[in-house]
Amino acid sequence: MKIEKRSAVAVGITAVVVAVVLLAGMGRARAANAPDRYLHVRVDGAADGEKVSVNVPLALAEKVLPAINHGELHGGKVKIGNMNTGDVDVRAILDAVRSSPDNEFVTVQQADQDVRVAKVGDNLVVHVRSKDADGKENKAEKVDVTVPLSIVDAVLKNNTNSEIDLNAVLRALQNSGESFVVNVQNAEQTVRVWVDGKNDSN
Amino acid sequence: MILAKLGVGFLCVTVTAGSVALSEGLVHVSVHQKAADGTHLSLVVPGVLAPIALYWVPRSHLQQAGGQLRPWMPAIRAAVEEMKNEPDMTYVEVVQADQHVKVSKIGGAVNVDVDDPNETVHVSTPLRAIGSTLEELGSKADPHVTQ
Repeated sequence: MKIEKRSAVAVGITAVVVAVVLLAGMGRARAANAPDRYLHVRVDGAADGEKVSVNVPLALAEKVLPAINHGELHGGKVKIGNMNTGDVDVRAILDAVRSSPDNEFVTVQQADQDVRVAKVGDNLVVHVRSKDADGKENKAEKVDVTVPLSIVDAVLKNNTNSEIDLNAVLRALQNSGESFVVNVQNAEQTVRVWVDGKNDSN
Repeated sequence: MILAKLGVGFLCVTVTAGSVALSEGLVHVSVHQKAADGTHLSLVVPGVLAPIALYWVPRSHLQQAGGQLRPWMPAIRAAVEEMKNEPDMTYVEVVQADQHVKVSKIGGAVNVDVDDPNETVHVSTPLRAIGSTLEELGSKADPHVTQ
């Protein structure tokens, strides 16, 4: 009887340990397979062929940023000089832009470049095109930025305190789908920044 | 009977010691020099040895490094913990004409691979070992100095 009881206790303890290990492993596997979003930065050097690729899980950035207290960055917030817009109600302007139909708001044509700022869907779109001396578009140099209005909202959230809540920006990036894109191209290099659900930038 | 008990005891001690030694995983360092007479080095060390080795280093030797590291420890802890939950991926890759550097996470370890015309270097460090080693290094900072 004693041997049977001892065996039963041993089997019971073993079963509990195995169950805990399995559940912990499943939890970790579930976390590893949970959909995550990644910030990608890719720099391609046209002249020397240098390529730099950086991939950062947004979840990692959300955990690390609040833990950094250095320089102007504290607790996930960064102080940006003087962001005080005075009497201009930036949020009201943003709300007006958000509720308006798709439209081109700003067009600037200069001798050396053209700038366009427009709203397309829920995104703010900025195009900058350089011009050659003869006024024709220089296709080698251009800037294209597509920023969801939710991210602009997050950036301007604390503009009265002249600080940007990077945690809020990251959360907005998480929810932005694949709309956030920055492309900067010149004769020497191409820089692309984007967010998607893939953990590589290929 | 006594010999059997001694054998079981020895086996338990060996398994326990091995488990402790491997609790932090294995650090793998490989250096392959491409010259004809170059050196080829491959080293596999239990990760648990790194923080233990740092523990025995006098504080005065590591105080400066520890002091520089200490303000970043909360961020490092958060990064190491979160990286354990992330899938395998490449974090940074730099490709130049004569050099290729890649920092990635594969199977619970951070890998740094460098390939240049002279040599190929591969370092693989388990995340657990990185965390405990940096904690030990951070603890060497002067406790009376706040940064």
